[in-house]
Amino acid sequence: MRCTWMRKVSGSAGSADGYMKKTVLGRGKINTPSLDGSCKSEEDVCALGKETQEGAPDGSEWEALDAEWSAAIRYEYHVLYSSSYQTPVLYFRASALDGRPLSLEEMWDNVHPSYRRRLLHSPWDTITQQEHPCLGQPFFVLHPCRTWDFMSPILEAAQNECRKLNYIVSWLSVVGPMVGLEIPLSYATVASKPERTAAR
Amino acid sequence: MQQAMADDKDVLRDVWFGRIPTCFTLYQDEITEREAEPFYLLLPRVSYLPLVTDKVRKHFQKVMKPDDVGEMWFEYEGTPLKWHYPIGLLFDLYASNTTLPWSIFVHFKNFPQQDLLHCPSNSVIEAHFMSSIKEADALKHKGAVVNEMQKKDHKQLWMGLQNDKFDQFWAMNRKLMEYPTEEGGFRYIPFRIYQVTSNRPFIQKLFRPVASDGCPHTLGDLLKEVFPAAIPQNDGQKKYQVMIHGIEPMLETPIQWLSEHLSYPDNFLHISIIPAPSD
Repeated sequence: MRCTWMRKVSGSAGSADGYMKKTVLGRGKINTPSLDGSCKSEEDVCALGKETQEGAPDGSEWEALDAEWSAAIRYEYHVLYSSSYQTPVLYFRASALDGRPLSLEEMWDNVHPSYRRRLLHSPWDTITQQEHPCLGQPFFVLHPCRTWDFMSPILEAAQNECRKLNYIVSWLSVVGPMVGLEIPLSYATVASKPERTAAR
Repeated sequence: MQQAMADDKDVLRDVWFGRIPTCFTLYQDEITEREAEPFYLLLPRVSYLPLVTDKVRKHFQKVMKPDDVGEMWFEYEGTPLKWHYPIGLLFDLYASNTTLPWSIFVHFKNFPQQDLLHCPSNSVIEAHFMSSIKEADALKHKGAVVNEMQKKDHKQLWMGLQNDKFDQFWAMNRKLMEYPTEEGGFRYIPFRIYQVTSNRPFIQKLFRPVASDGCPHTLGDLLKEVFPAAIPQNDGQKKYQVMIHGIEPMLETPIQWLSEHLSYPDNFLHISIIPAPSD
């Protein structure tokens, strides 16, 4: 299976530290910075959630939307392992082609509305801006403390069905799409072939 | 025994009430309507820059047009200061062997997005602070103590820090410092080691406070495992200073004791490795 993830090692050769990195070029919406350089407040970010509930745009608005959504955006996804929580963590950032990093508000603009509604419930709890532990630069992070909540039913089901489970692929397939990272179905097919013997 | 216990509580107070005299000067490129005087402030070592610098912003806003006042950020000798690091850590790392007051430049434009996290409100600082506390508890108790706390208990920790209330903070924080007696200490010690010249922001690894034979690990044991260059060699020449809260603890100090008494309010031991002064 062709894979576009790259393994990055930080520190000296032979060091166990490292992360998986994937870069994706996509199309999306970028704000042109306003003349006074102002940033939207937290209330505005919450208002985005309300906007998505007002229904899809009608036919005449699609063209205008299409133009608005055609900026090229470079997404970077890093999967790191948190030894503190003993789970994988997804670090991600997006930038315009000129290198300007996207703000949290712009990231939200590019998240699918149905996920946006779910995650916007408490934005500072689930997606926060943090320092990348290897690179030291600002990235957005999906918090691992919520990980166990939604992973345990998946793990249980796999065990009951005697099905092998690649934890990282399963976890990524749940959290990835919330922040624009598509996981092809082929990942799942490779990862979860049934075992002939009962699960241990 | 009583005297030792009284001393330990004193250490907690000394750490909490540590202050750094700081001089804030507006960066020369900032546009002002009249001359901006420097502003002097005693900064709490255990807090965070955006939490304690409202007065700094107000002082410089008085001489600037509102349009010229963007998100405030700080810089020391050309390095943007990461607001999400505790103030005491920033000082120890960058300026500990310089003369006081600590001289910091204040900026209101050209926010360095590649280097600094944004801080649009106090709730961002709170989220960051609580996230550190949760990670520290994950290491110490598999998260059991934090998860047992109610939301109002979490709030008490934050409000204690925000309002500089030692008793309010420690009434709750002491729960995070408990451990089963038979274990002899926490599961793992929450610590981070910082060095300015490193290409990674910090070193953090799993480290147990007690060896398998029951012997308590010391600060020296931690360094031997994670940063052996910081241990002075037999030839007597000390290359580095190992600094926490502006002091160099003896390498024989048990790491469990350090974690209970010299952690920052976020429950981490933030340790700076700096070049030893060559006098």
